[in-house]
Amino acid sequence: MPMLKYLIIILNDASVSFCHYESAKTGKKEAGMISYDNLNKAVAFALKNNLKVNFLYPRFRPGKKYEKLIEDVEHVKIVPRKLGGVYSDAITVLEAGDLRKENKVTGTENIILRLSSPELKILPAAVKEIARKGGRINLVIKDVENFGDSKISEYRKLLAEISGLLIKKSGENSIPEVNFLTDRLMLESMNNCDAGITHLTVAPDGRLYLCPAFYYESGENSIGEIRNEINIKNRQLLELKYSPVCRICDAYQCRRCVFLNWKLTGELNTPSRQQCRMSHAEREASGNMLEELKKKNFKGAKGIEIKKLGYDDPFEIAVKNRYSIQEFKNFNS
Amino acid sequence: MSQNTTVKIDRPGSWEDGRAKNVTFVVTEDCQLACRYCYLVGKNKSGRMNFETAKKAVDYLLREEKFLAEKSVVLDFIGGEPLLEIELIDKICDYFKLKSYELNHPWFDSYRISFSTNGLMYSDKRVQEFIRKNKTHLSIQITIDGTKVKHDTQRVYPDGRGSYDNVLKNIRLWTSQFPETSTKVTISGDDIPYIKESVLHIWSLGIKEVNINAVFEDAWKPGDDELFEEQLTELADEIIEKKLYKEYTCSFFSRTIGHPYEQNVNWCGAGKMLAFDFKGDIYPCIRFIEFSLQNRKGIIVGNLDKGIDENRLRPFLTLDMVSQSPDECINCDVASGCAWCQGANYDFAETGTIFRRATYICKMHKARVRANNYFWNKLGRRLKTDLRETNPDTCQC
Ligand code: SF4
Ligand code: SF4
Repeated sequence: MPMLKYLIIILNDASVSFCHYESAKTGKKEAGMISYDNLNKAVAFALKNNLKVNFLYPRFRPGKKYEKLIEDVEHVKIVPRKLGGVYSDAITVLEAGDLRKENKVTGTENIILRLSSPELKILPAAVKEIARKGGRINLVIKDVENFGDSKISEYRKLLAEISGLLIKKSGENSIPEVNFLTDRLMLESMNNCDAGITHLTVAPDGRLYLCPAFYYESGENSIGEIRNEINIKNRQLLELKYSPVCRICDAYQCRRCVFLNWKLTGELNTPSRQQCRMSHAEREASGNMLEELKKKNFKGAKGIEIKKLGYDDPFEIAVKNRYSIQEFKNFNS
Repeated sequence: MSQNTTVKIDRPGSWEDGRAKNVTFVVTEDCQLACRYCYLVGKNKSGRMNFETAKKAVDYLLREEKFLAEKSVVLDFIGGEPLLEIELIDKICDYFKLKSYELNHPWFDSYRISFSTNGLMYSDKRVQEFIRKNKTHLSIQITIDGTKVKHDTQRVYPDGRGSYDNVLKNIRLWTSQFPETSTKVTISGDDIPYIKESVLHIWSLGIKEVNINAVFEDAWKPGDDELFEEQLTELADEIIEKKLYKEYTCSFFSRTIGHPYEQNVNWCGAGKMLAFDFKGDIYPCIRFIEFSLQNRKGIIVGNLDKGIDENRLRPFLTLDMVSQSPDECINCDVASGCAWCQGANYDFAETGTIFRRATYICKMHKARVRANNYFWNKLGRRLKTDLRETNPDTCQC
């Protein structure tokens, strides 16, 4: 069973969002800040359990006392555009507005790009820019729930266009990295978010959550205080094995966001139709791209096969063909 | 597999073999009784369906092509006590017949109307008129829990008086109108010592099929399982000695229970069935309506204005046995027939999920399996044939 590897610490209620949720838009500097005591507890917990930390920063620097504590633990800083050039070891989160203002990606080579569906049209320009710099884009779509039939077909077209760009820029061993198209080329098993399994989140209230999204949804979603024995009730539902839809799926690049699952279907382990179709559009585009890359003698995806499927939502298969008891027992995450 | 056609005890009749779409109309949340085991914790006088909402529900059912996968429909009227709303039910059924005829819908001549009632209003003129009009399409179950003592332990008026005498008055009329009928008995703890005499009593009233459930709640005390086993064993002896197995059916005894799991199927049909409440909200089954739940909010999967949110149904339609069962259940040697109810699971789970099976019933199931083995092995010896068989487990609900 995979184990806890890292901790996400939200430094302030208005810290940057790096995923499928919105953080508090504004926050009074002090009011929204995690208390020094709680930060201390969280850092000590990480140190004692060999966890790395992802610190989520607000638009301002947290002050010397805090920064000293932050430096005590192995970590990555995830910062908004405003702090883009400030730290050398940070990953910047960009929103559509940040790109429009500067018309280019600056400050960092590895970025998290958060876009909503109407904003996706700026994606090809961003990909070109990042490819030029040899960086990586992690795209996060902010409104997965809106991906009905027409948005899915627009998304497919966009994926085809970006695949074309990437193929052009690829060499024998390398290709510019964008999570939604190139991750699947490198993966042989699921690479999901795994909230609650490989990582937990400490919020500004000092308590633990499965991920920041659950905190921003409601403080009632807390799974408890920071302590040595963490007991997540019904934890098995976070595991791939206990998701009847996802365990038969090979869209390995999918985030399999348990927060969106819970919001849209009511269950942590059951993905929405929108999520599955979006990930399958990506999977199919990766497959088509792989064919083209093979023609160019691309060696970077050696041994990877992406078979054509007759469906775009594994739910259809999960409903028809029940997993056997033996398959379940043999399942190895 | 051995067949012995003289043994009827585990061969209940079931219309369309469970292949019909089961649709529940919660016509009222009110009831004259206050049964001690009733799961409807939020009964009230205000939750009453109006005809406009019911019409919308019928229109919705007949309009949606996705429901055509099921060739038949069961219109189930439930409460509270459904017969309190017999006039409304009559109007809904007429509307269904008219609309399905106009639309040339396959359900027009493939439907059943079903109620489960406390029986207190059975002889009411309006109810009798409804029966006359719909008889060939109708299944009515009156709930009687057994002997007067057992029945009156649980099925009481709000002031604590037992309801047995008032129900009994209507039982004879009912069995004369529906000779092939059945009743449902619920066992919840204090009533275990009365099981044997209750089943025999119900049969003696002319009700030939008795379906019995032990409640899923954390209601069982140490020793209850032994008492239960004892009662069932005595009942088994009586059935064998008096050859009652030829004529009567009792769901306690079944050749399909007590085997390891062969298939990974869900027991319960929630989500494949649908329930409509008076507000026009749609639920995966009545047990997910707020007034049936003690600890959790209801699960609404849609409403009559916007239809069903398919995302909300996905958990119900993909839920299987392995994903909700503890390892102990998956590996259990006597697992088949060990029942669960999705609504009860959801209500009792530590987090708001349908993917966690409550297993309070475990010891009671094992007791039942032992008594069941006793029954079939002994009967097999008497009849000089092997009566055991295995079968996949699915629920008839
Ligand atoms: S569950 Fe994972 S993917 Fe979903 S919002 Fe939380 S961190 Fe992001
Ligand atoms: S595409 Fe759907 S089934 Fe596959 S991993 Fe993602 S959420 Fe799960």
